[in-house]
Amino acid sequence: MNMLNPILARLKKMPRAALITIGLFVALGTFAPWLAPQDPSAQNLLEAGLGPMAAHWLGTDHLGRDTFSRLIIAANTSLVSVGSVLGIAMTIGIVLGTIAGYHRGWVDDLLMRIVDVGLSVPSLIISLAVIGIVGPGYWTMVLALALAWWPMSGRISRAVAVSIMSKPHIEALRVLGASPWRIYFGHLLPGTIGSVMVYATADAGTAALAVATLSFLGLGIQPPTPEWGQMLVDALPYLESDPRQVLLPGLALTAAVIGFNTLGESIALNRIPKPLTRRMLAARRLEVASWDKENSDA
Amino acid sequence: MSVNRRTFLQGAAGAIGLAMAQGALSKIVYAQGAAGTLRVAIAKPAGNLDPQSHYAIWAIQDLMFEPLVKYGKGGQIEPCLATDWKIEDGGKTLHLTLREGVTFQDGTKFDAASCKWNLERWMGLDQFSWMNCSKHFQSLDVVDDYHITLNFKEPVLALMQELSYTRPTRFLSPKSVGADGKFGEPVGTGPWRQISADDTQSVFEHHEGYWGELPSYERLEAKVIPDARSRVAALRAGELDLVGGFWIAPLTPEEGKQLEAAGFNVVVDPGNVTLVMAFNPDRAEALRDAQVRKAVSMGIDRAAISKVLYHGYAKPAGNMFSGALPYAGTQYDAPARDAAAASALLEKAGWTGSPIRSKDGKPLALELVVSPDAVPGSRVIAEVIQSEMKEIGIDLVIRSVDHASKHTDMLEQKYDLGFFLTYGAPYDPFGSIVGLCLSTFHNDVEGKLVTDPTNLDPLINAAMAATGDQIQPTIQKVYDWLRDNDAIAPLVYVPSIWAHSKRVHGFSSPVTEYDMPYENILLAE
Repeated sequence: MNMLNPILARLKKMPRAALITIGLFVALGTFAPWLAPQDPSAQNLLEAGLGPMAAHWLGTDHLGRDTFSRLIIAANTSLVSVGSVLGIAMTIGIVLGTIAGYHRGWVDDLLMRIVDVGLSVPSLIISLAVIGIVGPGYWTMVLALALAWWPMSGRISRAVAVSIMSKPHIEALRVLGASPWRIYFGHLLPGTIGSVMVYATADAGTAALAVATLSFLGLGIQPPTPEWGQMLVDALPYLESDPRQVLLPGLALTAAVIGFNTLGESIALNRIPKPLTRRMLAARRLEVASWDKENSDA
Repeated sequence: MSVNRRTFLQGAAGAIGLAMAQGALSKIVYAQGAAGTLRVAIAKPAGNLDPQSHYAIWAIQDLMFEPLVKYGKGGQIEPCLATDWKIEDGGKTLHLTLREGVTFQDGTKFDAASCKWNLERWMGLDQFSWMNCSKHFQSLDVVDDYHITLNFKEPVLALMQELSYTRPTRFLSPKSVGADGKFGEPVGTGPWRQISADDTQSVFEHHEGYWGELPSYERLEAKVIPDARSRVAALRAGELDLVGGFWIAPLTPEEGKQLEAAGFNVVVDPGNVTLVMAFNPDRAEALRDAQVRKAVSMGIDRAAISKVLYHGYAKPAGNMFSGALPYAGTQYDAPARDAAAASALLEKAGWTGSPIRSKDGKPLALELVVSPDAVPGSRVIAEVIQSEMKEIGIDLVIRSVDHASKHTDMLEQKYDLGFFLTYGAPYDPFGSIVGLCLSTFHNDVEGKLVTDPTNLDPLINAAMAATGDQIQPTIQKVYDWLRDNDAIAPLVYVPSIWAHSKRVHGFSSPVTEYDMPYENILLAE
């Protein structure tokens, strides 16, 4: 076990590495069109499969396209698709989950049974079925993955919503006669979104992997848009003659997935009381002081 | 227990040594078990071997079942179960002399009676009307034990080629079927008899009573390995002797090149199957203009595709059929890429602007449907064409689909541009001309490459009705029409790639993609 300690110690520092990785991923993804040094789709068959050099920092792929530019643009593709998938899935999940958590009773039962059905079928199978019916394409893939993803966020939102609804301040609001709209939009929804977002971070890695998987199968992003999964499958025949072509997109994808997972985990685990900073202490003092004022006013 | 450097190094060295010893040992074991056995890869289980059904791997049926005549190099017809044949009455009568001394693998004699029994299982049936000899079949007369005469209503084009097909023409033992006459056991007259078959392999041993020369090795194992990379790995590990063949266990040009670099013998045959791009003017209005079709065809760099994607194994195609086939017509060079001329043609056709051309406010966008499962390597070719079309102002959208969807999409004409493979020898040229280009012929598998009931159909029908010296000039008119109208864009002649281990000597590519090339092989032990 002694041998493992240095590795474990290094692992403990991972969140910072993860933050840097994900920061880099988001930055590259956002500014990709300005950062890519060359047109990622420009082919030059005479320069196919070249190694790293001045003109192509990471070499070229099997069709003579600049690998570095393709990796950067692929970060953008992944960011947009993962963002869209999670955005749509979270919206559906949170809306249905909070409705179930607020309403309880038969509405809760009905919605949660739908969620159960969704959860019982592996997400990839749902996506494949949707793509099989609608046909492959970028937005079909996003929609298919969102449809497969929402039950998970629905279940989490419902659990969070139920716990919020049973808190004393909601009870108090009801007693004071607050309208259902005010309770739902003013208190339930913001609280739920905050908690679910944490899970979304951890899920982003899995979603990125799912996007890559579908593209790997030829069912997701269609050429010439660069995407890591597709770059992997395109390079696979050259695994032996030119492993660089497989390794680079593979490493990029691995870094993004591990980054998201570690980040999500550490955010979730970090939700423990922290020592108060001086500024926070001052703010609390001020707030407490204002309570006195309110009391004296009353 | 604490691990110090010494124990760690000892352990690691031991583990590496063990792994190496195990690898070497397994190779020795494989080699010993394989003495006298040729081990060939097949990509899927051999399937139902009924010669009158359409499910099995052709090459496996070829091991057991023999035809009346064989298709030789360049379309030469060679004797097999028939030693002599005479076509009379302008092609309406066929006199056959059957080989004497032939027995089926169950001991049944092959003679006029068993030949008649076999031919009557398919000749004249609707199901096989795609073959001229079945469509025009009239009657069959047994002259004596080894002579039969076939009579047809019309002269049969390419009659002897048809009789060399793998199915439904090959001969099954009359005793092998069930009481209801349905296929039972695969028993033919061929040199190999099946010992066992399951989802992992099919095993064959000599048919001792075979009339011809038996291969020098006693056993042939066809091992099922669906994944292409696993097949290559198995060949390298010494678990296989022979991999390749378009319909058997295809090798990609890249795999061929890698195996060549690793010291394996790679045999490349120019091939007689053509990869052709189809235009669908019914769906894409722009493609109704021959100038646009010509521009698309001229915009494709066939030479670069052959050189880079096929590693020089493929030849650029300028014709629907390669010169390796009979009646392939005048052979033209493949058009060289000329982006400027292609752009000029598009300008002339009224498609202007950049980066994507448009006409009457409509952009010049075309959808290319590809299925890498159905046509290996087609997606990469599509990506190259996409980039080349962009240069001449055409927005090419690639839609990649699975094998099944490709067939339905092609049948329902849900494509603007699509890839087709011609059938190759022994079916071509007539098989592909009728199957893929004649509008009145119902093809519910591949769909149609090109049809034109008013202009093309009469030319095809004339070529089909021609006999003797008339065949060449009439079929040339079909080729000329396709060429003059830019109705199709032939891309490359797909090569046939085989790789074999050092054990295998004397290997030569099969004449057609439907045969198993076991014949000339000698195994070195």
